[in-house]
Amino acid sequence: MDKAIRYNRISAVFFLGVGVFFFLYARSVEIGTWNEPGPGFLPFWGGVVLTAMSVALLLMTFWGKLPPMTRSFFPQSDSWKRVLATFLALIAYNIFLNPLGFTLITFLFVAFLVRFIFPQTWTRTLVVAVLSSVAARLLFVNFLETQLPKGFLGF
Amino acid sequence: MDILSHVLLGAQILFTPTNIFFCFLGVLMGTLVGVLPGLGPTAAIALLLPNTFHVNPVSAIIMLAGIYYGAMYGGSTTSILVNIPGEAASVITCLDGYQMALKGRAGPALGIAAFGSFIAGTISVLGLMLVAPPLAKFALAFGPPEYFSLMLMGIVILIYLASGSILKALMMAVFGLLLGTIGMDAISGTQRLTFGVLELADGIGLIPAIMGLFGVAEVITNVEEEIKRELITAKVKNLLPNLQDWRDSFWPIIRGSVLGFFIGILPGPAPVISAFTSYAIEKKISKHPEKFGTGVIEGVAGPESANNAATGGAFIPLFTLGIPANSVIAILLGAFMIHGIQPGPMLISKYPDLFWGTIMSMYLGNIMLLVLNLPLIGLWVKVLKVPYPILFPLILLFCLVGVFSLNYSNVEVALMIGFGVFGYLARKFQYEMAPLVLAIVIGPMMENNLRLALTISQGDPRIFIEKPISALFIIVSLVLLLSPFLPWLGKRRKKLQEKVEGEEV
Repeated sequence: MDKAIRYNRISAVFFLGVGVFFFLYARSVEIGTWNEPGPGFLPFWGGVVLTAMSVALLLMTFWGKLPPMTRSFFPQSDSWKRVLATFLALIAYNIFLNPLGFTLITFLFVAFLVRFIFPQTWTRTLVVAVLSSVAARLLFVNFLETQLPKGFLGF
Repeated sequence: MDILSHVLLGAQILFTPTNIFFCFLGVLMGTLVGVLPGLGPTAAIALLLPNTFHVNPVSAIIMLAGIYYGAMYGGSTTSILVNIPGEAASVITCLDGYQMALKGRAGPALGIAAFGSFIAGTISVLGLMLVAPPLAKFALAFGPPEYFSLMLMGIVILIYLASGSILKALMMAVFGLLLGTIGMDAISGTQRLTFGVLELADGIGLIPAIMGLFGVAEVITNVEEEIKRELITAKVKNLLPNLQDWRDSFWPIIRGSVLGFFIGILPGPAPVISAFTSYAIEKKISKHPEKFGTGVIEGVAGPESANNAATGGAFIPLFTLGIPANSVIAILLGAFMIHGIQPGPMLISKYPDLFWGTIMSMYLGNIMLLVLNLPLIGLWVKVLKVPYPILFPLILLFCLVGVFSLNYSNVEVALMIGFGVFGYLARKFQYEMAPLVLAIVIGPMMENNLRLALTISQGDPRIFIEKPISALFIIVSLVLLLSPFLPWLGKRRKKLQEKVEGEEV
């Protein structure tokens, strides 16, 4: 199957789901009438329109002409590893920010990304991670007075 | 005399140590993100917005505006020296700028880009100063139907400019409108789609959404493969263009400035379109069009002036109507609201200090940028040498801390990561970000105006076509949406699309 068709089908199904969800949900919060539109008015009609457009896109993948896809999904065969690892690092940062504290999690976060995404030497990794966690702490906590979590170590 | 007293007021506001400092900080940050590929002004403004909460609104807006026009200066540096545009608006500068650098004329290329930007920036601020107040007076006559139709037209123009399928761009806009309905309904107070999550009661935060869509998604796209950069290693010298350079560039700069300003007023990625249009015009009227692309100075002077002038023009809809023309201005609008300033036609008369202070800061900012970009060019070349493997963790760190410090909420950070995933995938599936962002920002405003208009007309949707101004906006929107079926307009769209491809608006 052509890539353009497959991509458009996947995304059409996704937006179809979103549209259906919104117009079903809107019925639970009072849609109102044209005279007196209620809080569910826009979610309802927006949902209906999005559903209709997704169906149109889906139908076009069977019959219509679509602009061809020019790029492949990942430019390199191992790109997905870096992409996934970066996303996981972001999620981990969010989870461990409170228990570990800002300075420590920042150090670990930067060290991980510098060492493993485009691998740098350990020396370089440590220098960058130490400098950036200390500098970030001085900038955000001491200079901008942002209240960032201290964690179990207390810094 | 009226203007003179306003200018004096603006100067009074600006020339305090705090505001001069924030102006400097803004243009400095702007140049920095302009130089760094992979971090645009949109993400940069979103990044710094949370840190402006405790300063007064005028200083905050002065700084955020500085980032926007400062980025246009910085963007040209990388185009000329590395052949990689720092900003999409500088893509066209690569053509002749890099060729000039290869011929050992990097100095005059950088010089004319900075001088052209300065002249254009000044001209467009002048235009903004003269056009905005009368336009705001005119806009006072706008009621809910006019506002709704105008915002509709704004979104439709962005959709029209979308590279790729109009249908997919429309879907993104509707999706954005739907996301905008999340949170408490402003008219009835009903909670919609919040599922008991406290952070969603005020709606989806603009900052987490933008940081995710532009900051995180951009970085993730860049970690797919290592970016190779080749720097012109020869020392940059002779920054001052000679007399012949000036003779060749004078009219391109003036034409670019005027063109950029007027394109800037329209919704869409104005800096990009105006730069491309300026290049096309210069090439067309040139006596030696065949030399374009081999390193002629007009090819740098015109577009670089145009993209700077466009940033000034883009402030007009913001100050007069309270409607953003692109995502950078949308974040500024968000900043207004966060600082409790109600945007709209009353803004200039209600907050003269904000309007005139910002205007005056743009004059000063342009002078600062000239100093920052010419004598200090060596510094920016050094910044370019910071390898991306070290840079990107820091950009992500800024995104994380920026969003977390908004409300000290892990939910908002999660939201940002979610938008990052969505933005990354949507780009892969070739959906446009611009209609989505604009719809998220102005969606709630559109909804309120739609409902108010329908209440006024007692449910009769004809109110939108019975009012003449509103009818005009609706007709323009319809024509643009039907453009794929109108051959002459469809062709124009194709041409424009080629220009704005890959742009973050």
